[in-house]
Amino acid sequence: MSADEKILKDLQKAVLGYDSKAAASAAKAAIAAKVDPLMAIEKGLVPAIEKVGDQFEKMEIYLPELMLAGDAMKSALALLLPLIPKGSKGAKATVVMGTVQGDVHEIGKNIVASMLMAGGFNVVDLGVDVKTTTFVDEAERNSARIIGASALMASTIGSQKDIIDYLVASGKRKKHAVLVGGGPTTKEWSKEIGADGCGMTAVEAVKLANQISKRR
Amino acid sequence: MVQILDIMDKALNGKPMSETDYQLKVFAPKVQEKVREHGIKFDRENPIPQDSSMADEVFEAGLELLLDTGAFCTSSGRTITFTEQEVRESLRRAPSKLYFGEGQDRKALVARTVGDKTPPWCLLGAGGGPCSSDRSFLTLVEGYAEIPETNAITTPALTRVGGMRVRPASPLEVLAAQRNAVLAREACNRAGRQGIPIMNSLATAESDIAFAAALHPKFGMRDSDGYMICCMDPMKVDFARLNKAAVALSLGGHIGMCFGPLLGGYAGGPEGTAVSNVAHHMMGVLTYQSSWLLPFTIHLRYVASSPRDMLWVISMMGQAISRNTHLLSLNLNYTTAGPCTPMCLFETSASVTAAVTAGLSIESLGVATNKHEDRTTPVEPRISAEVGHAVAGMKLADANELVKGLLKKYESKLNEPPLGKSLYECWDGEARKPTKEYHKVIMRYKRDMRDLGVDLRPEA
Repeated sequence: MSADEKILKDLQKAVLGYDSKAAASAAKAAIAAKVDPLMAIEKGLVPAIEKVGDQFEKMEIYLPELMLAGDAMKSALALLLPLIPKGSKGAKATVVMGTVQGDVHEIGKNIVASMLMAGGFNVVDLGVDVKTTTFVDEAERNSARIIGASALMASTIGSQKDIIDYLVASGKRKKHAVLVGGGPTTKEWSKEIGADGCGMTAVEAVKLANQISKRR
Repeated sequence: MVQILDIMDKALNGKPMSETDYQLKVFAPKVQEKVREHGIKFDRENPIPQDSSMADEVFEAGLELLLDTGAFCTSSGRTITFTEQEVRESLRRAPSKLYFGEGQDRKALVARTVGDKTPPWCLLGAGGGPCSSDRSFLTLVEGYAEIPETNAITTPALTRVGGMRVRPASPLEVLAAQRNAVLAREACNRAGRQGIPIMNSLATAESDIAFAAALHPKFGMRDSDGYMICCMDPMKVDFARLNKAAVALSLGGHIGMCFGPLLGGYAGGPEGTAVSNVAHHMMGVLTYQSSWLLPFTIHLRYVASSPRDMLWVISMMGQAISRNTHLLSLNLNYTTAGPCTPMCLFETSASVTAAVTAGLSIESLGVATNKHEDRTTPVEPRISAEVGHAVAGMKLADANELVKGLLKKYESKLNEPPLGKSLYECWDGEARKPTKEYHKVIMRYKRDMRDLGVDLRPEA
């Protein structure tokens, strides 16, 4: 096994072992060995996190493992992504996501955030009970192509509409695609409020994000 | 006895840690450790487990889990821990009987045991499902009040007020919660059951301010209603929820903590989810001073309580609780399929059977994953209650065979369940009965149930 192959294996092993520290040190080793950072991501991290996503879909592993693998991926990406020139083919869109104002449920949001990360997106997680203006401000600050707004309660999905209305009113709608999801969210609701899509599952959310990312 | 001031003291002075660390580094591994230590194993072939010693292990594992991890307060970023003495004392002091309602509708919710012939307490309705209008709300709640087995009502949640969609913690939510209280009482009055308790008070009030605002006596809520306050998975509370508890306690209302550890979530698979449910029961009694409990575990993939592994979780945690405590616990179930489909009725029959034969009472139900506006009718809770009464006293082994028979009818369709019809497409509000089409579905369903050995009330 060559030195590069060993580094790629170590990156994979770290993600599959849910080990953030090991992922960061494998990324550092890749940088020190002058491994192409895009190759380190695409051939090291991505196959591993895709495997994790697949295992989660089949319920062979559960939410904690998915999130820990996502954290490991994030630790390595934090070191590797800055080395990839902006606009190169490996860099996918940035997604800012959170649970809407008045809603503190985070499981659905965490699953989608981890799966997006697994799909190679740069995810900025804003947490729960996020104000409408914070979604928009953070999307601007991070140059995010996509805003992901999660809501679990029938009484809180109105805030998803507020994000879109705010973007329209402030002339920023074309800059940011908005994906909605969560317990009471339906495709009809998504259409009614003018969202760019509704992820009924985490897998569907990633698929939608990929479509939007390609349209850039 | 642990009281609200003690909880605040613990929440302000407990061990500081991040929410993520609590969930991923403390709670999740500890659940799996308990599952291993106690040898708890899910048996796919037997969705209704019959090993009472394993149920007792699940109970002990749940107790140890709570002692080891405590709950977590997201407002203070600290754990809320309890001593074994506090937990055992709170279980000993918890009521085994509570009265709800007024006049003729004042009834006792009593603790049940595994295989108990006592009919379950039937908290019937929409389980907080979304409802688009005052008209739909009244139609549904009147229908629920007319069900003979109804002991208490679980209302839908209004999504609009004054033509505007509700916004959380806004005046719209305050007004919607107040309207929720007024309309629920009005619907019961119209059905001639003025004293019936509303036990998911208040479904429309997600925020503490809306909850408190709607409890003013002029909106009709009573201290004989049930005050449901949710916690977040896993075992997380915040000051807003504790505010609700403080307000309900000040009214003398009976608090029921509802909790829904996801199967596939932080507790992992069915074994860990059963253990987590037991721990949540105890946490509810301590943290909110809950006098009754409302587990509503749902499946991460199907968002329902009817899949095989979910039935095992319901039965296992129910047996663990009813064999080892006298807690008043009601299981809330969700279906994947919608109204006017046999699948929806089979799904609720399976979940109710799992709960009732394990010694739990029922809240029934969230239809079609409880996410679609006005996609529920009074038929589904009525059928759930009929099944609940019919299977009371059934042995676990017989319940296992019944549930296996029911699973054969819907398990293969869980990935793509039929959504069925909406409220007015299959319920005649004027005649107060299902449409002819739905009536036929019910007749067919009851014939199938008879073939499975369960005789339900003949349809009119």
